[in-house]
Amino acid sequence: MKENRRSFLQIASAIIGGVMGLAAGIPLIGFAISPAWQKGESKWVNIGLVDRLKNSRYKKVNYTFTAKDGWVKATKKRSVYVTDIGNGEWSVFTRICSHLGCLVRWDEGQESFLCPCHGAVFDKNGAVVAGPPPEPLQKLEVKVESGILYVKEI
Amino acid sequence: MKQFLHDRLPLDEVMTHLRKPLPKHINLLFSLGSLALFLLLLQAATGAFLALSYSPSPDHAHNAVKYITEEVPFGSFVRGLHHWGASAMVVIVFLHLLRVVLYGSYKAPRELTWVVGVLLLLVVLGFGFTGYLLPWDEKAYWATVVGVEIASTAPGLGDVVAKVLRGGSEIGAVTLSRFYALHTIWLPWIAFSLVGIHLFLVRFYGSSGKPKNTPDEMKSGKPFYPDQVFEDLLGMLIIFIILASVAIFVPVPLEDVADPTNAEYDPRPEWYFLFLFQLLKYFQGPFEILGTFIIPTVGMLLLLFLPFLDRSEREVLWKRPIALTVTSVCVVAIVGLTILGASAPKLETVEAEVQPTDDTQQITPLDTGIEETEEGEDVFDFELTDEEIEEAK
Repeated sequence: MKENRRSFLQIASAIIGGVMGLAAGIPLIGFAISPAWQKGESKWVNIGLVDRLKNSRYKKVNYTFTAKDGWVKATKKRSVYVTDIGNGEWSVFTRICSHLGCLVRWDEGQESFLCPCHGAVFDKNGAVVAGPPPEPLQKLEVKVESGILYVKEI
Repeated sequence: MKQFLHDRLPLDEVMTHLRKPLPKHINLLFSLGSLALFLLLLQAATGAFLALSYSPSPDHAHNAVKYITEEVPFGSFVRGLHHWGASAMVVIVFLHLLRVVLYGSYKAPRELTWVVGVLLLLVVLGFGFTGYLLPWDEKAYWATVVGVEIASTAPGLGDVVAKVLRGGSEIGAVTLSRFYALHTIWLPWIAFSLVGIHLFLVRFYGSSGKPKNTPDEMKSGKPFYPDQVFEDLLGMLIIFIILASVAIFVPVPLEDVADPTNAEYDPRPEWYFLFLFQLLKYFQGPFEILGTFIIPTVGMLLLLFLPFLDRSEREVLWKRPIALTVTSVCVVAIVGLTILGASAPKLETVEAEVQPTDDTQQITPLDTGIEETEEGEDVFDFELTDEEIEEAK
Protein backbone atom coordinates (compact mmCIF):
# COMPACT_ATOMS: atom_id res chain seq x y z
CA MET A 1 0.00 0.00 0.00
CA LYS A 2 2.81 2.36 1.02
CA GLU A 3 4.74 1.49 -2.15
CA ASN A 4 1.70 2.23 -4.28
CA ARG A 5 1.30 5.56 -2.55
CA ARG A 6 4.95 6.43 -3.14
CA SER A 7 4.80 5.44 -6.77
CA PHE A 8 1.76 7.62 -7.14
CA LEU A 9 3.57 10.55 -5.45
CA GLN A 10 6.57 10.11 -7.74
CA ILE A 11 4.43 10.07 -10.86
CA ALA A 12 2.28 12.97 -9.63
CA SER A 13 5.42 15.02 -8.84
CA ALA A 14 6.79 14.33 -12.31
CA ILE A 15 3.48 15.37 -13.90
CA ILE A 16 3.21 18.56 -11.83
CA GLY A 17 6.83 19.42 -12.65
CA GLY A 18 6.30 18.62 -16.32
CA VAL A 19 3.15 20.71 -16.60
CA MET A 20 4.77 23.69 -14.88
CA GLY A 21 7.88 23.27 -17.02
CA LEU A 22 5.84 23.28 -20.22
CA ALA A 23 3.58 26.12 -19.07
CA ALA A 24 6.59 28.31 -18.38
CA GLY A 25 8.97 26.82 -20.95
CA ILE A 26 6.90 27.19 -24.11
CA PRO A 27 6.27 30.95 -23.73
CA LEU A 28 9.87 31.52 -22.61
CA ILE A 29 11.32 29.69 -25.60
CA GLY A 30 8.80 31.40 -27.88
CA PHE A 31 9.91 34.74 -26.45
CA ALA A 32 13.57 33.96 -27.12
CA ILE A 33 13.25 32.56 -30.62
CA SER A 34 10.47 34.82 -31.89
CA PRO A 35 12.83 36.68 -34.29
CA ALA A 36 13.01 33.42 -36.28
CA TRP A 37 9.57 33.93 -37.74
CA GLN A 38 9.68 37.70 -38.08
CA LYS A 39 9.51 38.59 -41.74
CA GLY A 40 11.49 41.53 -43.04
CA GLU A 41 9.57 43.96 -45.19
CA SER A 42 10.99 44.82 -48.55
CA LYS A 43 10.72 48.44 -49.59
CA TRP A 44 12.06 50.89 -52.11
CA VAL A 45 14.77 53.19 -50.85
CA ASN A 46 16.00 56.18 -52.79
CA ILE A 47 19.74 56.24 -53.26
CA GLY A 48 20.35 59.26 -55.43
CA LEU A 49 19.43 61.57 -58.23
CA VAL A 50 19.75 60.00 -61.63
CA ASP A 51 21.39 63.18 -62.90
CA ARG A 52 24.16 62.90 -60.38
CA LEU A 53 24.70 59.22 -61.06
CA LYS A 54 24.68 59.50 -64.84
CA ASN A 55 27.63 57.75 -66.51
CA SER A 56 28.64 56.17 -63.22
CA ARG A 57 30.71 53.05 -63.48
CA TYR A 58 30.85 50.94 -60.34
CA LYS A 59 30.40 54.08 -58.35
CA LYS A 60 30.39 53.59 -54.61
CA VAL A 61 27.23 55.01 -53.10
CA ASN A 62 26.49 55.04 -49.40
CA TYR A 63 22.94 55.72 -48.35
CA THR A 64 20.83 55.56 -45.27
CA PHE A 65 17.23 54.85 -44.50
CA THR A 66 15.25 54.37 -41.36
CA ALA A 67 13.87 51.02 -40.31
CA LYS A 68 12.56 49.43 -37.17
CA ASP A 69 15.18 47.55 -35.17
CA GLY A 70 13.38 46.07 -32.18
CA TRP A 71 12.26 49.06 -30.13
CA VAL A 72 14.47 51.49 -32.03
CA LYS A 73 13.72 53.38 -35.21
CA ALA A 74 17.24 53.04 -36.45
CA THR A 75 19.11 54.70 -39.25
CA LYS A 76 20.46 51.86 -41.36
CA LYS A 77 23.53 52.40 -43.48
CA ARG A 78 24.14 50.64 -46.77
CA SER A 79 26.75 50.73 -49.47
CA VAL A 80 26.32 49.73 -53.14
CA TYR A 81 28.10 49.99 -56.49
CA VAL A 82 26.06 51.78 -59.14
CA THR A 83 26.60 51.53 -62.89
CA ASP A 84 24.71 53.47 -65.53
CA ILE A 85 24.26 50.95 -68.33
CA GLY A 86 22.57 53.46 -70.62
CA ASN A 87 19.09 53.64 -72.10
CA GLY A 88 17.68 54.19 -68.63
CA GLU A 89 19.08 50.87 -67.38
CA TRP A 90 20.99 50.65 -64.14
CA SER A 91 22.99 48.00 -62.41
CA VAL A 92 23.31 48.18 -58.64
CA PHE A 93 25.40 45.60 -56.82
CA THR A 94 25.22 45.15 -53.10
CA ARG A 95 28.63 45.22 -51.43
CA ILE A 96 27.68 42.40 -49.10
CA CYS A 97 29.72 39.34 -50.04
CA SER A 98 27.51 36.32 -50.67
CA HIS A 99 29.94 34.21 -48.63
CA LEU A 100 29.82 35.52 -45.06
CA GLY A 101 28.69 39.12 -45.28
CA CYS A 102 31.91 41.16 -45.45
CA LEU A 103 31.92 44.21 -47.75
CA VAL A 104 33.49 43.71 -51.17
CA ARG A 105 35.55 46.37 -52.92
CA TRP A 106 35.62 47.17 -56.61
CA ASP A 107 39.11 46.97 -58.02
CA GLU A 108 39.43 49.04 -61.15
CA GLY A 109 42.63 47.35 -62.35
CA GLN A 110 41.26 43.85 -62.10
CA GLU A 111 37.70 44.88 -63.02
CA SER A 112 36.57 42.69 -60.16
CA PHE A 113 34.93 42.82 -56.79
CA LEU A 114 37.31 41.59 -54.07
CA CYS A 115 36.37 40.48 -50.60
CA PRO A 116 38.86 41.26 -47.82
CA CYS A 117 37.76 38.36 -45.59
CA HIS A 118 38.22 35.02 -47.30
CA GLY A 119 39.60 36.01 -50.67
CA ALA A 120 36.43 35.92 -52.78
CA VAL A 121 36.64 37.45 -56.25
CA PHE A 122 33.58 38.33 -58.35
CA ASP A 123 33.77 39.54 -61.94
CA LYS A 124 32.14 42.74 -63.12
CA ASN A 125 28.85 40.91 -63.59
CA GLY A 126 28.95 39.60 -60.04
CA ALA A 127 29.80 36.00 -60.99
CA VAL A 128 32.16 34.14 -58.68
CA VAL A 129 35.65 33.93 -60.16
CA ALA A 130 37.57 32.66 -57.13
CA GLY A 131 37.19 31.98 -53.45
CA PRO A 132 34.53 30.37 -51.32
CA PRO A 133 31.19 32.09 -52.18
CA PRO A 134 28.59 29.60 -53.35
CA GLU A 135 26.51 32.32 -55.02
CA PRO A 136 27.13 35.38 -57.18
CA LEU A 137 27.20 38.89 -55.80
CA GLN A 138 23.62 40.04 -55.42
CA LYS A 139 22.24 42.58 -57.86
CA LEU A 140 19.59 44.78 -56.32
CA GLU A 141 16.28 45.45 -57.97
CA VAL A 142 16.15 49.06 -59.16
CA LYS A 143 13.64 51.55 -60.48
CA VAL A 144 13.70 55.18 -61.50
CA GLU A 145 10.94 57.53 -60.56
CA SER A 146 10.86 61.30 -60.87
CA GLY A 147 14.55 61.34 -61.68
CA ILE A 148 15.47 59.44 -58.54
CA LEU A 149 17.08 56.03 -58.45
CA TYR A 150 15.56 53.55 -56.01
CA VAL A 151 16.78 50.14 -54.85
CA LYS A 152 14.70 47.47 -53.22
CA GLU A 153 15.81 46.81 -49.67
CA ILE A 154 14.93 43.33 -48.48
CA MET B 1 31.51 32.77 18.64
CA LYS B 2 33.93 30.16 17.34
CA GLN B 3 31.95 27.46 19.11
CA PHE B 4 28.71 28.90 17.72
CA LEU B 5 30.00 28.60 14.17
CA HIS B 6 31.58 25.22 14.88
CA ASP B 7 28.21 23.87 15.99
CA ARG B 8 26.41 25.23 12.98
CA LEU B 9 28.82 24.84 10.07
CA PRO B 10 30.25 21.44 9.07
CA LEU B 11 33.73 22.93 8.66
CA ASP B 12 35.53 19.93 10.17
CA GLU B 13 34.01 17.64 7.58
CA VAL B 14 34.89 20.06 4.80
CA MET B 15 38.48 20.24 6.05
CA THR B 16 38.73 16.46 6.32
CA HIS B 17 37.53 16.21 2.75
CA LEU B 18 39.95 18.87 1.55
CA ARG B 19 42.88 17.17 3.29
CA LYS B 20 42.31 13.90 1.43
CA PRO B 21 45.52 12.83 -0.29
CA LEU B 22 45.98 13.15 -4.02
CA PRO B 23 47.67 10.50 -6.16
CA LYS B 24 51.48 10.41 -6.12
CA HIS B 25 53.63 11.94 -8.88
CA ILE B 26 51.22 14.76 -9.65
CA ASN B 27 53.03 17.48 -11.54
CA LEU B 28 52.41 21.12 -12.38
CA LEU B 29 50.17 20.19 -15.33
CA PHE B 30 47.57 19.10 -12.80
CA SER B 31 47.17 22.73 -11.73
CA LEU B 32 45.79 23.80 -15.11
CA GLY B 33 42.18 23.07 -14.11
CA SER B 34 42.51 25.26 -11.03
CA LEU B 35 44.06 27.98 -13.14
CA ALA B 36 41.14 27.81 -15.59
CA LEU B 37 38.72 28.16 -12.66
CA PHE B 38 40.73 31.11 -11.33
CA LEU B 39 40.53 32.84 -14.70
CA LEU B 40 36.79 32.20 -14.93
CA LEU B 41 36.35 33.85 -11.53
CA LEU B 42 38.61 36.73 -12.55
CA GLN B 43 36.52 37.23 -15.71
CA ALA B 44 33.32 37.13 -13.66
CA ALA B 45 34.70 39.69 -11.19
CA THR B 46 36.13 42.11 -13.76
CA GLY B 47 33.04 41.69 -15.95
CA ALA B 48 30.73 42.50 -13.05
CA PHE B 49 32.61 45.76 -12.47
CA LEU B 50 32.78 46.67 -16.16
CA ALA B 51 29.00 46.22 -16.34
CA LEU B 52 28.62 49.09 -13.85
CA SER B 53 29.60 51.57 -16.54
CA TYR B 54 28.45 49.83 -19.71
CA SER B 55 25.32 50.34 -21.79
CA PRO B 56 24.34 47.70 -24.36
CA SER B 57 22.92 49.90 -27.08
CA PRO B 58 24.46 50.88 -30.42
CA ASP B 59 24.12 54.55 -29.49
CA HIS B 60 26.03 54.21 -26.25
CA ALA B 61 28.14 51.03 -26.18
CA HIS B 62 31.22 52.42 -27.93
CA ASN B 63 31.19 55.62 -25.88
CA ALA B 64 30.68 53.63 -22.69
CA VAL B 65 33.73 51.49 -23.41
CA LYS B 66 35.71 54.61 -24.30
CA TYR B 67 34.55 56.19 -21.04
CA ILE B 68 35.57 53.12 -19.06
CA THR B 69 38.97 53.10 -20.74
CA GLU B 70 39.73 56.80 -20.60
CA GLU B 71 37.84 58.32 -17.70
CA VAL B 72 36.84 55.81 -15.06
CA PRO B 73 39.65 55.44 -12.48
CA PHE B 74 41.36 52.05 -13.03
CA GLY B 75 38.93 51.50 -15.93
CA SER B 76 41.70 50.81 -18.41
CA PHE B 77 43.26 48.30 -15.98
CA VAL B 78 39.99 46.49 -15.26
CA ARG B 79 39.14 46.33 -18.97
CA GLY B 80 42.69 45.15 -19.69
CA LEU B 81 42.38 42.34 -17.14
CA HIS B 82 39.07 41.29 -18.67
CA HIS B 83 40.27 41.50 -22.27
CA TRP B 84 43.62 39.76 -21.83
CA GLY B 85 42.09 37.43 -19.26
CA ALA B 86 39.82 36.09 -21.99
CA SER B 87 42.82 35.20 -24.13
CA ALA B 88 44.59 33.63 -21.15
CA MET B 89 41.48 31.62 -20.41
CA VAL B 90 41.40 30.14 -23.92
CA VAL B 91 45.09 29.21 -23.67
CA ILE B 92 44.79 27.63 -20.23
CA VAL B 93 41.60 25.72 -21.08
CA PHE B 94 43.27 24.39 -24.24
CA LEU B 95 46.36 23.31 -22.27
CA HIS B 96 44.15 21.71 -19.62
CA LEU B 97 42.42 19.72 -22.35
CA LEU B 98 45.80 18.64 -23.75
CA ARG B 99 46.93 17.51 -20.28
CA VAL B 100 43.83 15.34 -19.97
CA VAL B 101 44.53 13.86 -23.41
CA LEU B 102 48.22 13.39 -22.56
CA TYR B 103 47.50 11.16 -19.55
CA GLY B 104 44.30 9.63 -20.94
CA SER B 105 42.44 11.00 -17.92
CA TYR B 106 39.14 10.95 -19.80
CA LYS B 107 38.95 7.18 -19.62
CA ALA B 108 36.53 5.31 -17.35
CA PRO B 109 35.12 6.28 -14.92
CA ARG B 110 35.78 9.92 -15.88
CA GLU B 111 34.01 10.07 -19.25
CA LEU B 112 31.34 12.48 -18.03
CA THR B 113 33.95 14.74 -16.42
CA TRP B 114 35.45 15.04 -19.91
CA VAL B 115 32.10 15.64 -21.61
CA VAL B 116 31.28 18.44 -19.17
CA GLY B 117 34.78 19.83 -19.70
CA VAL B 118 34.28 19.97 -23.48
CA LEU B 119 30.94 21.72 -22.94
CA LEU B 120 32.82 24.22 -20.79
CA LEU B 121 35.28 24.77 -23.64
CA LEU B 122 32.31 25.62 -25.88
CA VAL B 123 30.99 28.00 -23.22
CA VAL B 124 34.40 29.71 -23.03
CA LEU B 125 34.38 30.19 -26.83
CA GLY B 126 30.79 31.44 -26.51
CA PHE B 127 31.95 34.00 -23.95
CA GLY B 128 34.59 35.14 -26.43
CA PHE B 129 32.14 35.39 -29.33
CA THR B 130 29.43 37.25 -27.41
CA GLY B 131 31.95 39.42 -25.57
CA TYR B 132 33.68 41.04 -28.42
CA LEU B 133 30.55 42.51 -29.95
CA LEU B 134 30.06 44.57 -26.80
CA PRO B 135 32.56 47.42 -27.55
CA TRP B 136 30.57 47.98 -30.79
CA ASP B 137 33.67 48.91 -32.75
CA GLU B 138 34.59 47.81 -36.27
CA LYS B 139 36.16 44.55 -35.17
CA ALA B 140 33.16 43.78 -32.97
CA TYR B 141 30.68 44.42 -35.74
CA TRP B 142 32.40 42.62 -38.60
CA ALA B 143 33.53 39.61 -36.57
CA THR B 144 29.92 39.20 -35.47
CA VAL B 145 28.60 39.61 -39.02
CA VAL B 146 30.89 36.79 -40.16
CA GLY B 147 30.26 34.65 -37.07
CA VAL B 148 26.50 34.81 -37.41
CA GLU B 149 26.70 34.18 -41.16
CA ILE B 150 28.72 31.05 -40.41
CA ALA B 151 25.88 29.86 -38.17
CA SER B 152 23.40 30.60 -40.96
CA THR B 153 25.09 28.09 -43.27
CA ALA B 154 24.04 25.17 -41.07
CA PRO B 155 21.64 23.00 -43.06
CA GLY B 156 17.97 23.27 -42.18
CA LEU B 157 17.99 25.46 -39.11
CA GLY B 158 20.85 27.77 -40.09
CA ASP B 159 18.68 30.76 -40.95
CA VAL B 160 16.61 30.31 -37.83
CA VAL B 161 19.71 30.17 -35.62
CA ALA B 162 21.14 33.27 -37.29
CA LYS B 163 17.89 35.20 -36.87
CA VAL B 164 17.58 34.14 -33.24
CA LEU B 165 21.17 35.18 -32.55
CA ARG B 166 20.72 38.54 -34.24
CA GLY B 167 17.21 39.05 -32.95
CA GLY B 168 16.17 39.83 -36.52
CA SER B 169 17.51 39.94 -40.02
CA GLU B 170 20.53 42.09 -39.30
CA ILE B 171 22.88 43.14 -36.56
CA GLY B 172 21.58 46.06 -34.55
CA ALA B 173 20.17 47.14 -31.21
CA VAL B 174 18.42 43.83 -30.55
CA THR B 175 21.58 41.86 -31.36
CA LEU B 176 23.69 43.87 -28.94
CA SER B 177 21.09 43.49 -26.22
CA ARG B 178 20.93 39.73 -26.81
CA PHE B 179 24.68 39.27 -26.86
CA TYR B 180 24.98 41.27 -23.64
CA ALA B 181 22.35 39.12 -21.95
CA LEU B 182 24.03 35.94 -23.20
CA HIS B 183 27.45 37.16 -22.10
CA THR B 184 26.51 38.39 -18.65
CA ILE B 185 23.58 36.21 -17.58
CA TRP B 186 23.00 33.08 -19.65
CA LEU B 187 26.58 31.94 -20.20
CA PRO B 188 27.73 32.63 -16.62
CA TRP B 189 24.79 30.58 -15.29
CA ILE B 190 25.60 27.76 -17.67
CA ALA B 191 29.33 28.03 -16.97
CA PHE B 192 29.03 27.92 -13.20
CA SER B 193 26.51 25.09 -13.34
CA LEU B 194 28.86 23.06 -15.52
CA VAL B 195 31.84 23.98 -13.34
CA GLY B 196 29.85 22.76 -10.34
CA ILE B 197 29.19 19.40 -12.00
CA HIS B 198 32.80 19.19 -13.27
CA LEU B 199 34.24 19.86 -9.81
CA PHE B 200 31.83 17.47 -8.14
CA LEU B 201 32.89 14.71 -10.53
CA VAL B 202 36.58 15.56 -10.09
CA ARG B 203 36.25 15.39 -6.30
CA PHE B 204 33.99 12.33 -6.38
CA TYR B 205 36.29 10.22 -8.56
CA GLY B 206 39.43 11.95 -7.31
CA SER B 207 42.29 13.18 -9.44
CA SER B 208 43.07 10.75 -12.26
CA GLY B 209 46.79 10.86 -11.51
CA LYS B 210 49.32 9.34 -13.89
CA PRO B 211 48.24 6.35 -16.02
CA LYS B 212 50.40 3.77 -14.29
CA ASN B 213 49.80 4.80 -10.68
CA THR B 214 49.20 1.74 -8.49
CA PRO B 215 46.06 1.70 -6.31
CA ASP B 216 48.31 2.49 -3.33
CA GLU B 217 49.93 5.40 -5.09
CA MET B 218 46.48 6.76 -5.99
CA LYS B 219 45.81 7.63 -2.36
CA SER B 220 49.18 8.27 -0.82
CA GLY B 221 50.30 11.55 -2.36
CA LYS B 222 50.29 15.00 -0.84
CA PRO B 223 47.01 16.34 0.55
CA PHE B 224 44.94 18.63 -1.64
CA TYR B 225 44.92 21.20 1.17
CA PRO B 226 47.25 22.89 1.89
CA ASP B 227 49.96 21.42 -0.41
CA GLN B 228 48.22 21.37 -3.79
CA VAL B 229 46.17 24.47 -3.01
CA PHE B 230 49.39 26.37 -2.31
CA GLU B 231 50.94 25.24 -5.61
CA ASP B 232 47.75 26.22 -7.45
CA LEU B 233 47.81 29.60 -5.74
CA LEU B 234 51.40 30.19 -6.86
CA GLY B 235 50.30 29.45 -10.43
CA MET B 236 47.39 31.89 -10.04
CA LEU B 237 49.75 34.53 -8.68
CA ILE B 238 52.09 34.13 -11.67
CA ILE B 239 49.19 34.39 -14.11
CA PHE B 240 47.78 37.38 -12.30
CA ILE B 241 51.14 39.18 -12.35
CA ILE B 242 51.48 38.53 -16.08
CA LEU B 243 47.90 39.64 -16.79
CA ALA B 244 48.21 42.74 -14.61
CA SER B 245 51.46 43.71 -16.34
CA VAL B 246 49.92 43.25 -19.78
CA ALA B 247 46.82 45.18 -18.67
CA ILE B 248 49.02 48.07 -17.56
CA PHE B 249 51.49 48.15 -20.43
CA VAL B 250 49.47 46.95 -23.43
CA PRO B 251 46.40 49.09 -24.06
CA VAL B 252 43.31 47.19 -25.11
CA PRO B 253 42.42 48.23 -28.64
CA LEU B 254 39.19 50.11 -29.29
CA GLU B 255 38.64 50.72 -32.96
CA ASP B 256 36.30 53.24 -34.55
CA VAL B 257 32.62 52.85 -33.90
CA ALA B 258 30.97 50.11 -35.97
CA ASP B 259 30.15 51.24 -39.50
CA PRO B 260 28.23 48.82 -41.74
CA THR B 261 29.38 50.75 -44.84
CA ASN B 262 33.10 50.81 -44.11
CA ALA B 263 34.51 48.55 -46.79
CA GLU B 264 38.03 49.78 -46.13
CA TYR B 265 38.08 47.68 -43.00
CA ASP B 266 39.64 44.23 -43.23
CA PRO B 267 37.66 42.11 -40.78
CA ARG B 268 39.67 39.73 -38.62
CA PRO B 269 38.37 37.78 -35.62
CA GLU B 270 40.12 37.43 -32.26
CA TRP B 271 43.20 35.24 -32.48
CA TYR B 272 41.44 32.22 -31.01
CA PHE B 273 38.99 32.10 -33.93
CA LEU B 274 41.65 32.74 -36.59
CA PHE B 275 42.04 29.03 -37.36
CA LEU B 276 38.37 28.87 -38.33
CA PHE B 277 38.66 32.12 -40.28
CA GLN B 278 41.58 30.64 -42.24
CA LEU B 279 39.89 27.26 -42.70
CA LEU B 280 36.95 28.92 -44.49
CA LYS B 281 39.22 30.05 -47.32
CA TYR B 282 39.91 26.51 -48.48
CA PHE B 283 36.37 25.38 -49.21
CA GLN B 284 34.87 26.90 -52.29
CA GLY B 285 31.47 27.00 -53.90
CA PRO B 286 29.32 24.01 -52.95
CA PHE B 287 32.03 22.85 -50.52
CA GLU B 288 31.66 26.01 -48.42
CA ILE B 289 29.56 24.13 -45.92
CA LEU B 290 32.49 21.81 -45.20
CA GLY B 291 34.43 24.70 -43.67
CA THR B 292 31.57 26.54 -42.05
CA PHE B 293 29.62 23.66 -40.61
CA ILE B 294 30.66 20.08 -41.23
CA ILE B 295 34.31 20.15 -40.12
CA PRO B 296 33.73 22.29 -36.98
CA THR B 297 30.65 20.29 -35.98
CA VAL B 298 32.12 16.85 -36.62
CA GLY B 299 35.37 17.93 -34.91
CA MET B 300 33.47 19.11 -31.86
CA LEU B 301 31.33 15.95 -31.72
CA LEU B 302 34.42 13.74 -31.97
CA LEU B 303 36.02 15.73 -29.16
CA LEU B 304 32.87 15.49 -27.06
CA PHE B 305 32.61 11.72 -27.44
CA LEU B 306 36.34 11.01 -27.38
CA PRO B 307 36.19 8.81 -24.25
CA PHE B 308 33.65 6.55 -25.96
CA LEU B 309 35.67 6.35 -29.18
CA ASP B 310 39.11 5.77 -27.68
CA ARG B 311 38.69 2.42 -25.93
CA SER B 312 42.41 1.69 -25.67
CA GLU B 313 44.01 0.98 -22.32
CA ARG B 314 44.97 3.99 -20.27
CA GLU B 315 48.55 4.95 -21.10
CA VAL B 316 50.49 8.13 -21.55
CA LEU B 317 49.88 9.70 -24.98
CA TRP B 318 53.14 8.59 -26.66
CA LYS B 319 52.24 4.99 -25.98
CA ARG B 320 48.88 5.39 -27.78
CA PRO B 321 49.94 5.79 -31.43
CA ILE B 322 46.51 6.57 -32.88
CA ALA B 323 45.63 9.11 -30.18
CA LEU B 324 49.12 10.62 -30.53
CA THR B 325 48.73 10.98 -34.31
CA VAL B 326 45.24 12.47 -34.12
CA THR B 327 46.20 14.88 -31.33
CA SER B 328 49.35 15.98 -33.14
CA VAL B 329 47.52 16.54 -36.42
CA CYS B 330 44.80 18.56 -34.66
CA VAL B 331 47.25 20.69 -32.68
CA VAL B 332 49.47 21.34 -35.71
CA ALA B 333 46.39 22.16 -37.84
CA ILE B 334 44.94 24.58 -35.29
CA VAL B 335 48.26 26.29 -34.57
CA GLY B 336 49.21 26.33 -38.26
CA LEU B 337 45.88 27.76 -39.41
CA THR B 338 46.06 30.37 -36.64
CA ILE B 339 49.52 31.48 -37.81
CA LEU B 340 48.40 31.53 -41.46
CA GLY B 341 45.29 33.51 -40.52
CA ALA B 342 47.32 36.00 -38.50
CA SER B 343 49.84 36.53 -41.27
CA ALA B 344 47.30 36.73 -44.12
CA PRO B 345 47.97 39.97 -46.00
CA LYS B 346 45.39 42.72 -45.90
CA LEU B 347 43.52 43.38 -49.09
CA GLU B 348 44.75 46.30 -51.13
CA THR B 349 42.47 47.43 -53.89
CA VAL B 350 42.64 50.16 -56.44
CA GLU B 351 39.28 51.80 -56.80
CA ALA B 352 38.29 53.70 -59.91
CA GLU B 353 41.20 55.56 -61.51
CA VAL B 354 39.08 58.52 -62.39
CA GLN B 355 37.05 59.29 -59.39
CA PRO B 356 34.88 62.34 -59.11
CA THR B 357 35.60 64.34 -56.01
CA ASP B 358 32.37 63.14 -54.49
CA ASP B 359 33.35 59.56 -55.25
CA THR B 360 31.45 58.23 -52.34
CA GLN B 361 28.11 59.83 -52.11
CA GLN B 362 28.02 60.13 -48.39
CA ILE B 363 24.48 60.62 -47.47
CA THR B 364 23.10 61.88 -44.25
CA PRO B 365 19.49 61.77 -43.20
CA LEU B 366 17.82 64.92 -44.38
CA ASP B 367 14.17 65.60 -44.48
CA THR B 368 13.65 66.81 -47.99
CA GLY B 369 9.97 66.15 -48.14
CA ILE B 370 10.48 63.64 -50.92
CA GLU B 371 9.12 60.16 -50.49
CA GLU B 372 8.78 60.55 -46.78
CA THR B 373 6.13 58.17 -45.55
CA GLU B 374 3.82 58.80 -42.67
CA GLU B 375 6.19 57.03 -40.30
CA GLY B 376 9.13 58.73 -41.96
CA GLU B 377 10.45 55.35 -43.00
CA ASP B 378 12.22 56.38 -46.15
CA VAL B 379 14.06 59.58 -45.77
CA PHE B 380 15.47 60.97 -48.95
CA ASP B 381 18.86 61.59 -47.56
CA PHE B 382 20.81 62.91 -50.45
CA GLU B 383 22.31 66.27 -49.70
CA LEU B 384 20.20 68.22 -52.14
CA THR B 385 19.59 71.88 -52.54
CA ASP B 386 16.02 73.12 -52.47
CA GLU B 387 16.22 73.82 -56.21
CA GLU B 388 17.25 70.25 -56.93
CA ILE B 389 14.41 68.92 -54.87
CA GLU B 390 11.92 71.05 -56.74
CA GLU B 391 13.45 69.95 -60.01
CA ALA B 392 13.23 66.30 -59.02
CA LYS B 393 9.58 66.67 -58.21
